[in-house]
Amino acid sequence: MSSSKAEPAGGHGHGHALPWYQAHHFDSMEVQNHAVRLGMWLFLGTEVLLFAGLFLGYTVYRWLYHQSFHEASRLLSLPLGTINTIILITSSFTVALGYHAIKVGKQKACVGYLAFTIACAGAFLVIKFFEYKHKFEVGELPGRFFTAYHDFSPLGAKGANLYYAIYFLATGLHAFHVIVGASILAWLMVRVHKGKYGPHHYVPVELGALYWHLVDLVWIFLFPLLYLI
Amino acid sequence: MAETTHKEAAHEDHGIGRYVLIWGILLAFTLLTVFTGRMDLGAANIFIALAIATTKATLVVLFFMHLWDTGGVNRLVFVVSVLFAIVLILGVFGDLTARYAPTLPNGGPLPPHSAAGAAEAVEHGMPPIPGH
Repeated sequence: MSSSKAEPAGGHGHGHALPWYQAHHFDSMEVQNHAVRLGMWLFLGTEVLLFAGLFLGYTVYRWLYHQSFHEASRLLSLPLGTINTIILITSSFTVALGYHAIKVGKQKACVGYLAFTIACAGAFLVIKFFEYKHKFEVGELPGRFFTAYHDFSPLGAKGANLYYAIYFLATGLHAFHVIVGASILAWLMVRVHKGKYGPHHYVPVELGALYWHLVDLVWIFLFPLLYLI
Repeated sequence: MAETTHKEAAHEDHGIGRYVLIWGILLAFTLLTVFTGRMDLGAANIFIALAIATTKATLVVLFFMHLWDTGGVNRLVFVVSVLFAIVLILGVFGDLTARYAPTLPNGGPLPPHSAAGAAEAVEHGMPPIPGH
């Protein structure tokens, strides 16, 4: 990210005035933008590998207990899962519109798009809360907390607790990303509102949007693997 | 600086039409995957679901995350991390299929509502299941 220490333009002895958002060790904004984008993509690469571990656990246990996984997926609410998928895809769309708005200098529109995206994050979490609540009530839980034997066939009941271990870990880690992503977007929204960003300095909004797209990306795989198998 | 602005504008000067189109396609694929997910296609189900998910993810990465426009080293970083994730899963999957059955992870006790499971539950001191 660019240095946030607002330096008075021209006060650093380079002989030409740099805008406050350009760190002095970058030759130009283009070089700085290349560097911060690469940094963000490296971070997103580590995020992919983080979730890869969970998808690996899913693959192993589903291979061993596919009947349990099949029956457990049918006990999730498909309407709620589908609504949450549509909410996340729409929020991914609106954050892209927010990025576009700030790039063409429409600060007000950008604030609106970011606010809508954050509202989508909130709606997603509320729906997820009710899904979790139901799971706790009926005892469809990981490991030794699993008590919902009667919801499963004799073949499916063994190993069903593993499905719920994966389910709560994967969707829990994803929900944590939703909270972090929405917080970043809220911070960006305030700064857009204050007029910190515009057509010449929009990359922070771009990076926040990239993070939000990753949240959407992970859900695109979690949804079919957990709800539709 | 003038050159910079020109270059930056050049690599992505499309309007919002592209975003709207991708959004529509993503919604259509979501409904399609719900539809095919509830059909009983046996082993094909998981492959159809994964094919649709991969298509959706590719669209998001290319057009919402702009790898279509930016490319270069950013594209390399992301593709390599996805490749390594696939290597990880395929490698472990190979191990899984080659293992002796007793060395596979145990999914927990047998269900108490099967005769063998009930005996196992007693053996492990598990609480009785209501109605059994």
